[in-house]
Amino acid sequence: MSEIHLKINGQEVTAQSGQTVLEAAKGAGVEIPVLCHHPALSNWGACRMCVVEVEGMRTLQTACTLPAADGMVIKTHTEQTFNIRKFVLELLFSERNHYCMYCQMSGDCELQAQAYNHGLDHWTYPRPYEKQEVDATRKYFIMDHNRCILCTRCVRACTEIAANHTLGLRNRGAETMISADLNVPFGESSCVECGTCLQVCPTGALIDARSAYGGREKDVTHTQTTCMQCSVGCDLDVVTRYKRLLRVDGVWDSEPSGGLLCVDGRFAPLYETRKRVVKPLVRKDGKLTEASWEEALGLVANALKGSTCQGLAACATTNEALAAFAGLMTQLGGQAGRLEPVAPTLGYGVPAKVADVLDADFIIVAGAQPLDYQRVVGYFIHRAADQGATVAVISDSENALSKRAALTVASAQAGIVAKAAADARKIVLVYSVGLKPEVIAALKPLGDKVSFLALDPARNGKGAEAVGLKPQSPVKTDVAYILLGEQPVADALHVPAGFKVVQAAYHSTLTEQADVVLPTPLWYERTGHVTTLDGVIKPLQAVLPAPADVRDESVVLEQLAALLR
Amino acid sequence: MGKIKVATQWLEACAGCHMSFLDIDERIVEFFKHVELTSSPITDLKHPPEEGVDVGILTGGIGNEDELHEAQEMRERAKLLIAMGDCAVFGGICTMRNFFPTAEVLRRGYIETESTVDGQIPQHEDLAPLTDKVSGVGDVVPVDIYLPGCPPTADAIWYVLTELLEGRMPKLEGKVLKYGMDGG
Repeated sequence: MSEIHLKINGQEVTAQSGQTVLEAAKGAGVEIPVLCHHPALSNWGACRMCVVEVEGMRTLQTACTLPAADGMVIKTHTEQTFNIRKFVLELLFSERNHYCMYCQMSGDCELQAQAYNHGLDHWTYPRPYEKQEVDATRKYFIMDHNRCILCTRCVRACTEIAANHTLGLRNRGAETMISADLNVPFGESSCVECGTCLQVCPTGALIDARSAYGGREKDVTHTQTTCMQCSVGCDLDVVTRYKRLLRVDGVWDSEPSGGLLCVDGRFAPLYETRKRVVKPLVRKDGKLTEASWEEALGLVANALKGSTCQGLAACATTNEALAAFAGLMTQLGGQAGRLEPVAPTLGYGVPAKVADVLDADFIIVAGAQPLDYQRVVGYFIHRAADQGATVAVISDSENALSKRAALTVASAQAGIVAKAAADARKIVLVYSVGLKPEVIAALKPLGDKVSFLALDPARNGKGAEAVGLKPQSPVKTDVAYILLGEQPVADALHVPAGFKVVQAAYHSTLTEQADVVLPTPLWYERTGHVTTLDGVIKPLQAVLPAPADVRDESVVLEQLAALLR
Repeated sequence: MGKIKVATQWLEACAGCHMSFLDIDERIVEFFKHVELTSSPITDLKHPPEEGVDVGILTGGIGNEDELHEAQEMRERAKLLIAMGDCAVFGGICTMRNFFPTAEVLRRGYIETESTVDGQIPQHEDLAPLTDKVSGVGDVVPVDIYLPGCPPTADAIWYVLTELLEGRMPKLEGKVLKYGMDGG
């Protein structure tokens, strides 16, 4: 990188070599209109909105793709560029259905905004009125090809960010269409519904089924928090209006995912169907009955006094709650553990961060299914594979990553992977609870060349680790105190204790067995912190208030501790 | 100087643009100090006078042969023609039927709708046949000023009219250029 000097609109501008004219102009405070350009994506130069005049060049140039060079003299806003941009807009408006009055994006649409900026009060070209498809075969979002301007932001997001390669273009010229796989309905395609395309679409072509018509940008509130659906801990931009949760967006330039989310973080939690626990419940005459907090906590305190007790936490809550939980159990002299298993330790190698996957040249996946859970890690592995990294899967059952792996071997053959990786520059081993001892042994020759990413199956496993919670099975005690939060429970979970206290957000087979159920907040009602896979302590912001009778676990646990002192 | 003569007519439209015009509220008093409304759908006389008007305002798209005739008549009789509202500018919501053959649209509308019993497609010599496709006014006669919006806000309409009264050609930008309502 070296400094270059150019002139933009008569102003002397200093830029870095390697920057585009668009970036150099932006750095100098000159906004050039764009449509197909998106800062998180590669440049494409398709829409021609960003055309500028460059002295010595015969034709207008697209600023988003033109490298800035020393001595360039550029004009970004002239009568000619204005007219060309307006002409481009006229062509776009005449092609498909860009009628704003019944579009959910009206008011927030980049195409509309550009048309306003260019005084487009009508267009001169006739519309062909070709009926394009509306594809609503996916659960969470809809593709309306009538609104599409073929900017290919979605294609680039699918390719470059999600590295899923579902989207592409088919046909040419006026027949060009966005296509999923070999032109199949989106719902039947290889789409993983990460929603990145939805977030980058500049028009109303991609429609979020939940938030459409729910409020324009000027009407909504944005709150940043941390995703609690798995331990990756992506930043979320949660969009609400009044007290309604509208949409979840990724946050560009945030750690660790850089704006990429997955279906578990972006969509699924907004479609929760389990029945919420909204008031404390106590068992009376064999039936769970609503009670006051005072009564419920009194019952719990009485049961705990002088009894043997086991505390079991699903690590689906805040660091604060986990610490209060461990503290209470210590105070009571009870045993405390976590419900989820942990990934084994290797005894060699150095810990990696999630982002290390991206610049590895050899990735070993063993005993883990990151495309099914902690999916961002799976997408990162795909991205690394696209950049040329070798992916090796060690698995005794089917693994979705095998499709993109250079080799897939059974645990017994793990030595083959160790040999193949021997000469690699940077080896990242992604593993989880399924990692077998023979694989650990087979990879040992790689030693400290291995950076390892141990995927904790719990949402806040690192938070639990910090307060010393280790996996435990339910044992026979007088009282079992189960901190469940939003975590679904396996039907097979059998708690043999005589008296069961369950602190949970939803009704489940476990709350059905409980003697006392204490309601907990949901992910978007929480404040506090979680510790991510990378060991970063990230804050949670309450996006919406919890129902009146729902209390945070840490508050309840402290109240109990006080009652028992 | 005499009053400026203005005529309006609605074509294939919902009347919302004329309602939006009435939303100029008390400004209408000031307006009529300078303007004579020779004809409009909401006054007794429906056609612009043969001797012509200074400004003709058309709302709505062209969806049948009567509307085509009305547009041509207004164009002939107005020195300056305004296409007001999204339907007049590019056909607007009326163009929804452009994706279907006319016969199918009529059959669906008059016979197949779920609430219809023994429906029939109305046919009478006084009924104007539908055009093949709905279009904006500008597709059939030359238009001087386009005022989009569904409907254009009262302020946008007021801006255009007052600019003309001042002898300037209005240039729509900023707040007065909107394709929908309320921020859209």
